[in-house]
Amino acid sequence: MVQHMVKRDFYSLEDKVVPAHQLAASVLDFSRSREVNKHKLLRGTGIFNEDVISDRKLSVYQLLQLISNAQALTPGNDCAFLLGKRLFPGNYGAISNALMHSRDLTDAFRVLHQQLNQICPFLDVKGYATQSHHYLLFTDAIGCKEQFQFIAELYCTALVAGTKLLFGERIPYEFNFPFARPKYIQEYEVHLSHRLRFSQPVMSVSFDNKWLTKTCLHRSDSLKWHALRQCKNSAIPKLGFLAAVRKAIAQQHLGLQAAAEQFLMSPSTFKRKLKQHGYSFQQLQDEVGKQQAIYLLQVQQLSNEESANLMQFNDIPNFRRSVKRWTGLTPSQLRMATHNIVS
Amino acid sequence: MNLSLLARHQRLFSLACASVTLSITLSIGIGQLKPLADISWLDILGEGSVSLLSLLWIFFILVSRPPGRVTTALVVGLSCFLFSANLDLVDEFMFYENSAEGLSMVESIPAGVGMIIMSYALYQWHLEQLILNKQLHKRESSLRQHHQVDFITALYSAEYMRSQIDSELANTPSPDFAVAMLDINNFDVFNRKYGHDKGDQLLRELSDLILMNLRPSDLACRYAGDRFILFFPNTDLSTAEHIAEQIKKAIANIAFKPALSGESVFHQLTFAAETAKYGDVSESLLQRVNRRLENFKKNGPAHG
Repeated sequence: MVQHMVKRDFYSLEDKVVPAHQLAASVLDFSRSREVNKHKLLRGTGIFNEDVISDRKLSVYQLLQLISNAQALTPGNDCAFLLGKRLFPGNYGAISNALMHSRDLTDAFRVLHQQLNQICPFLDVKGYATQSHHYLLFTDAIGCKEQFQFIAELYCTALVAGTKLLFGERIPYEFNFPFARPKYIQEYEVHLSHRLRFSQPVMSVSFDNKWLTKTCLHRSDSLKWHALRQCKNSAIPKLGFLAAVRKAIAQQHLGLQAAAEQFLMSPSTFKRKLKQHGYSFQQLQDEVGKQQAIYLLQVQQLSNEESANLMQFNDIPNFRRSVKRWTGLTPSQLRMATHNIVS
Repeated sequence: MNLSLLARHQRLFSLACASVTLSITLSIGIGQLKPLADISWLDILGEGSVSLLSLLWIFFILVSRPPGRVTTALVVGLSCFLFSANLDLVDEFMFYENSAEGLSMVESIPAGVGMIIMSYALYQWHLEQLILNKQLHKRESSLRQHHQVDFITALYSAEYMRSQIDSELANTPSPDFAVAMLDINNFDVFNRKYGHDKGDQLLRELSDLILMNLRPSDLACRYAGDRFILFFPNTDLSTAEHIAEQIKKAIANIAFKPALSGESVFHQLTFAAETAKYGDVSESLLQRVNRRLENFKKNGPAHG
């Protein structure tokens, strides 16, 4: 294996990087309160009960297994939501303190972005702003597969509950989810918001810009500084494997061959590794293209020429065809659709 | 499977075991083994399954029901039946001397007695069920769907309420019912301060309190999180709001004690009510009442 020869700046599904006493401990606690059989819960995960009171690390794969078991064994549909409520301040010590004492939401998001791999190794988050709204764009960083919806529910609830703690009131977020509207919509309404849209091309959370600069209730620059110092040195690489590949595609416009080279793998090993994370290279390329197209055309309202140029397309017809393939809409339709995203 | 009830049935459990061992030792003791050629395997299959299934029935009664008159009668009856079934089964392997002829004559008597006791037990069970239905009043409407019961509060879930509303809307051309949504204020803060187990306990106690304040025809379900939904058949808006207001007052006066120290925590409630309109479906009605509730939570209620 080439892994130990170079210092990697990404983590794979099987890499043991997540401390067991964080999310796994919360899942165990919650399942206990729902009278779930502990042996059944841990079956097939390779996690032991003692792990959650140790410094052992787990892989994302193990966590996803545990989540899948918990979801199957706990009664009701609120498992992800109740776990999300417990996540923050919960088991994240110094990070929670740093967030809690942030100056404002911009500041808190900066901390979150630095520590995201610690709190949420499953999702990659990008923020961008328009004149009136701030958007958080979520993508699968590591291959959550069937557990993606659960992960989305979990971390969206954590975002809502966490920011409520910072401001003493709920921020009226607007949610766009890529999956279909679930039957248990009441959990979304109560724990997240009434502004919900399902079966959307990308997963995003948006809110009014004014929230970014509102001062937090417990703001303290010295306490935050102190907390940040405590949580600086984490051993987790910055990006999940899929997020790292997406970054290579988006920023360097790499093809399969060049990307494999950058990740120090042969193309066939690279393809196999992508498959293990539930994706093909083409899928990731399309996903990146779709996101860029939506961002440039719909959010930034750029012209076809400008967008095609930024996305390194040589001719407009080719660009139009690709946009239609990615999003199901033509560039002009995509620009028109803005109103229903922002309003 | 939850086997905790089994430990509370030591006597009945011994009775069932005794029935099995006694029947087998008795017939083996008096009889002699048949030659292999005379054994009818088809009969053994039939009679064996009767024995096994009655044993299974006894098991399910013991793990499902708390001790009491009905449980005792059911198990005693089934044990008698099992006794005969076992004699019948062992019969297939044995033949008896003339002196033991009596055994095969009397072997069906316990079964008869058992059936009589079981019939008595079933009648008692029927009476018990009527009482239980009464206890379930306000928790349950016309349908029983145990998989839709919420784990924490033992109220029915939002799904049950939606189908209840939809069937009501489908059955009456001009709907005349109201729904109310109740939401506990600052439940998050309580959970953080006292822990989630206490939060669950609070939800359970509040749901009991809500039930106490309802009329016999009303129905309460847990919507999600700290939100409850109430259904008022043949009720106008002001009556529904009046009842919700009474629940609000009742809850505001309850001194919930989460810790041993006896410290009291009081809870406030926000509610919103809506009546069904012509052309409604459950989703549109629930959306209206939820919107109104959110509005009240943000800007304070227009009433109370």
